[in-house]
Amino acid sequence: MEKEKTKNPNQNSFLFNLLTNRASSMTLAVVFALVFTSLLVWMMKANPISVFQTIITGAFGSTNNFTQVIQAWVPLVLASLGLMFTFTAGLWNIGMEGQIVMGAIFSYGIIRIFDGSDASSALVIILCILAGILGGTLWAFLVGLLKNFGGVNEIFGGLGFNFIADAVMLFLVFGPWKPEGVANGSTKMLDTRFWLPQIEGTYLSLWALGIAIVCVILVTVILQGTYFGLKLKAVGKNNKSSFLLGIHTNRYMLLAFVLCGVLAGLTGALQVLGFNHVLRNNISGGYGYIGLMVGMLANIQPLITAPIAFIFIALSKGAAGLGIDLKLDSNLAGVIQGALVIFVLIMDGVRKVLIKKFKGVQSG
Amino acid sequence: MFSKRIWTLVSLLVVMALVLAACATPTAAPAPVETEAPVAATEAPVVATEAPAEPFVIGILTVGPITDNGWSTANYLGAVYAQSKIEGAELIYAENVNSAANPNTTAAQFAEQLLDKGANVIIFNSDDMKDGVTEFTSLHPDVPVIWLTGDFAWEDGKRYQPDMKSQSDVFSKMEYGKMMAGCAAALTTKTGKIGFLGALINDETRRHAAAAYLGADYCWKSIRSETTPIDFKVTWIGMWFNIPGVTLDPTQVADTFFTDGYDIVISGIDSTEAVTVAKKFRDQGEDVYAVQYDYEKACDVAPDACLGVPYYNWGVDLLPIIQSIKDGTYTRQFVWSDPDWSDINNPDTSSIGFKKSDGLSAENSALLDQFIGELAGGLNLWTGPLNFQDGTEFLADGVEATDQQIWYLPQLLEGMTGDSVTK
Amino acid sequence: MDVEVRNIHKTFGKVHANNDISLVVKSGEVQGILGENGAGKSTLMKILSGFISLDAGSILLDGKEVTIGSPADSVKFGIGMLHQDPLDFPPLNVLDNLILGSRERMIPNRKKVRQEFVELQKQFDFSISPDAFIDSLSVGERQQLEIIRLLWLGAEVLILDEPTTGISAAQKIQLFAMVRKLSEQGKAILFVSHKLEEVEALCTQVAVFRQGMNVGQMLPPFDNDKLVEMMFGKILTRSDRKCCTQEKVNIEVSDLKIDDPRLPIKNVNFCIQKGEVIGLAGMEGSGQGLLLRALAGIIRPSGGHIWLCEENSSKKDFVGKHYFDFKDSGISFLPADRLDEGLIAGLDLREHFILAEKQKGFFVDAKAAMQLTEKRIKDFNIKGTAENMVESLSGGNQQRAELALLRQPLRLLLLDHPTRGLDIESTLYIWSKLKQRCSEGASIFFVSSDLDEILQYSDRILVFFGGKVSKPLDAGDVSVDQLGQLIGGRGWE
Ligand SMILES: Nc1ncnc2c1ncn2[C@@H]1O[C@H](COP(=O)(O)OP(=O)(O)OP(=O)(O)O)[C@@H](O)[C@H]1O
Ligand SMILES: [Mg+2]
Repeated sequence: MEKEKTKNPNQNSFLFNLLTNRASSMTLAVVFALVFTSLLVWMMKANPISVFQTIITGAFGSTNNFTQVIQAWVPLVLASLGLMFTFTAGLWNIGMEGQIVMGAIFSYGIIRIFDGSDASSALVIILCILAGILGGTLWAFLVGLLKNFGGVNEIFGGLGFNFIADAVMLFLVFGPWKPEGVANGSTKMLDTRFWLPQIEGTYLSLWALGIAIVCVILVTVILQGTYFGLKLKAVGKNNKSSFLLGIHTNRYMLLAFVLCGVLAGLTGALQVLGFNHVLRNNISGGYGYIGLMVGMLANIQPLITAPIAFIFIALSKGAAGLGIDLKLDSNLAGVIQGALVIFVLIMDGVRKVLIKKFKGVQSG
Repeated sequence: MFSKRIWTLVSLLVVMALVLAACATPTAAPAPVETEAPVAATEAPVVATEAPAEPFVIGILTVGPITDNGWSTANYLGAVYAQSKIEGAELIYAENVNSAANPNTTAAQFAEQLLDKGANVIIFNSDDMKDGVTEFTSLHPDVPVIWLTGDFAWEDGKRYQPDMKSQSDVFSKMEYGKMMAGCAAALTTKTGKIGFLGALINDETRRHAAAAYLGADYCWKSIRSETTPIDFKVTWIGMWFNIPGVTLDPTQVADTFFTDGYDIVISGIDSTEAVTVAKKFRDQGEDVYAVQYDYEKACDVAPDACLGVPYYNWGVDLLPIIQSIKDGTYTRQFVWSDPDWSDINNPDTSSIGFKKSDGLSAENSALLDQFIGELAGGLNLWTGPLNFQDGTEFLADGVEATDQQIWYLPQLLEGMTGDSVTK
Repeated sequence: MDVEVRNIHKTFGKVHANNDISLVVKSGEVQGILGENGAGKSTLMKILSGFISLDAGSILLDGKEVTIGSPADSVKFGIGMLHQDPLDFPPLNVLDNLILGSRERMIPNRKKVRQEFVELQKQFDFSISPDAFIDSLSVGERQQLEIIRLLWLGAEVLILDEPTTGISAAQKIQLFAMVRKLSEQGKAILFVSHKLEEVEALCTQVAVFRQGMNVGQMLPPFDNDKLVEMMFGKILTRSDRKCCTQEKVNIEVSDLKIDDPRLPIKNVNFCIQKGEVIGLAGMEGSGQGLLLRALAGIIRPSGGHIWLCEENSSKKDFVGKHYFDFKDSGISFLPADRLDEGLIAGLDLREHFILAEKQKGFFVDAKAAMQLTEKRIKDFNIKGTAENMVESLSGGNQQRAELALLRQPLRLLLLDHPTRGLDIESTLYIWSKLKQRCSEGASIFFVSSDLDEILQYSDRILVFFGGKVSKPLDAGDVSVDQLGQLIGGRGWE
């Protein structure tokens, strides 16, 4: 009846809907990121269209490229999943990198023990994976302990342990674990028996892929269907209230680190067994840090990490071709990833502000 | 509710459109070819059946950027040389193939990309890529692979890989170049102290350092007729180039050498720190020099501070192999080539050379030429009596070293200070 | 300045929070606004101050229609709002906070600001040091600071949304004096409250909101019963005082000592009977909160005993035990700051109920949880759905939700300001629920700054003054006056 007096028609306007619908606002963020990088590329005097073309063919242009993308997706998605636990608990596990490194070191340690023996490869591989998990978990646990009992912020603790893990790695590969007569920052290559079996003619291991998929499902179920997941979320949202409600908040934060460490260690083990086939400096592949970006975008929904990690890895794998075809720096992929994160966060912020102002707190 | 679904749908469509647009363009790319085709067809329909010869593509992976003015540049230029001499050949490359710059793509995977882009031969340019060569050849046993500095194809070598049927190794006898470097240093030094800025420790770097020492020792004793032994010290930084926090800082190492009275530093690394630090000291009035490595123009940053550079000329050895691949006459080979002693600086015949720089005095230049002449005349410095650094015997009096003994030199030689193996 | 709103509409999803509201407040008036929890009072206030936008309707200032798009706009138009929720200040000192809020110049003239601040304070007999740090100020002082800040920014219309909930009696007197003075200066004032006596004391006219609508205006003298009926659509009767105290000792506190650096507490001795309600009176921060938390096991006493007495007259000392041990033996604590310590913003009601229940197995049974939630929502009359994030509930409903989270059975309930910010009906409702707990044998220990509430519901009363704790007084034997004296520090031997 009073509708003609309406003063704020924008609730139904095109722009308002565009900005407040989750899907369209994310699409817009992607478009902005693409425009932004195009501008950048254009300023570098290259053709943006051919850049994107190269990236896409680089990622999907051939079976070989595509399997490489899938192969690299595995560690990234595992790392991102691990971070889901700490993100849910409101923690920033910057120490992911070091945890992956430790996982790799531990799992290679097993290889050294069984090198030259005739133990069954399946057994050794399983032991390696378990040892990797142990290594990652241990490293994460230490960060958690420092946070809980030493009052050391997990960001600083994590950074510290990253340094230590790197130092240990350098010591080993330039020292006791270096191949005979050489010291070039990597160990001897694994006996092919101990490689995760790969699909003939590719670098992709179906085992690794299977592990990743199982982990996606497992983490989703744990975080979204169990008491544990809910309690973790409660701790992340409000530590004080959770404690008063009867949740052992310290224990849960520690558990978040431990579970994150499990996945970090697994990532590290797979980096050794399924990808590098050596232990070397930079074995973590930076997945701990990229995982943080994926995690931020996934907004503690584990299922979403799978596609986001896929986009990220397709970008960086695809961009490897930039150097070959266009003589551009392949780090452009990092710029696109960064731009994606920033624009998604901005658009999400805008969306939330608008919704809060015009629609109130969302239910559900 | 309804409008929400509409919006989701619309965005989905937009995303799909974006993806399609991006995917569609590559297929549109051959368009220019098609526009040309009809023209050709109208003029001479016969031409169409005459399929253009498939291009012959050379692919090379370089561990550093091809603009590093060192190792990778030299390798890349070698490939360029081969390409320029082979009719219709094309060259593609992937640079920065190392785990620091590209942790998520292995050398083998980069090689795979070059293969996808049609490479008929793939050159791996670094000792570092050993695992990449192994992995790639196991997946593609029939693709010709050339591993620079490698020894997998050497039947008499320790790491001979009989299964890699299409893999070849190429290296040139840089030992001679290093001897010339050592000699130039020994001729020029005033303090009798020479520093060797080493990379990481392996067979190759050990024998190169030892060769530099042998050259220095010979010119010190036989040409300058000095009686006190020369002081020859090796410091390894741990990598081919500086990685902050991981390796020793080569700038720092060179600096320490000069400060401690080592007035010549021979570089064994792929970057140019030695000569830049020498220039800095010279600017402060010190009389010091560096000898560079790898690339013909490596002295150009500071010619006055540089005595010269022993450099690689990869094209000389690459050309015949690649040509044979193109011609279909390729067989697996292990190449460890001598320089062209008639003119070591001939770009078409000598696989290594020594380029003198402004720091070398005219007098010493003449003496160095004399030394090079002796080498050309058959002087073999790998002749006993020579001991290892730990005092055990390497070569008895009058015995000449075999190729295996040189290639796999297990220790530095007596008379050199510095680590023989990584601690 | 005159304010007028015409036909304001605002919906949040399905909730019609403001439904065709019109209101005129002339310069110099103090407009009281009453209404049950969730009636839409804060919504209208936030629309006026630009924090949320209206769906339809218009706002007129001095007869001219204006569009208020943001809080900055409203400041520009001369509207200042004191929020209902505790104010968040950046951790700076008073002066810097003032300067931060002003948008005039890039380079602030600190000397001038200081002078203006001091002068404004003098007008109202406030005494906040311009150099004090915000953390050191009490809730009441922060409120004073905020009002001064609004006036300093040039507010001609002042909106006070439940300003009396967190402040002391003395500060309330100061606040009222200030409001009167401001209305004499010709400012228009909107005063939101749940307390009829406050409205009666202060307002020149009253509007009552119900379910998003303005259901009526009244001029003095106000008829309280009529107002209550307008607010709730029915006449409310206070239930009679009913004592459920049993002759069984529930908890015995002896020689309890709490080492708080600011307020050490010593020699606390008393017994709590089963079914008994004990009210803690005193000025905010006189030690009530500390005792409450010590009894809950959240802070650890440095000496003395807290005995939990069993039916068979055995007893266990709980001093030094963990909070969870207290909780497991049926001692529950309900904090005053609901979204800070009680509920978890970002989780919905259903998730809260799952968390509060005993864990059964590893996986959450979503269906059972839903049923439980719906039952509790009905039992406790919560206005909201299972998927409502707790922060979207109105204050009263948040409090109901907190009560609904309590476990069964309970030995002792510790409540910090259980009805702060609640409307009369909610207050009655919540106390009826609490009394029900008492009849089941639970004891209640509660802190309140509302003396009427303490006298109305307690069986015995403990008075606090500067860390001293009185002997338990029988609620039947003390009057409001006596209590007031004790609270103010007089009459202690
Ligand atoms: N941001 C929001 N999102 C969703 N619903 C909201 C929001 N703010 C208020 N509501 C709903 O609007 C209605 C009116 O809320 P409002 O805060 O105006 O009530 P109130 O009269 O101030 O109540 P109280 O006395 O409890 O403060 C309530 O049902 C509330 O749940
Ligand atoms: Mg309100």
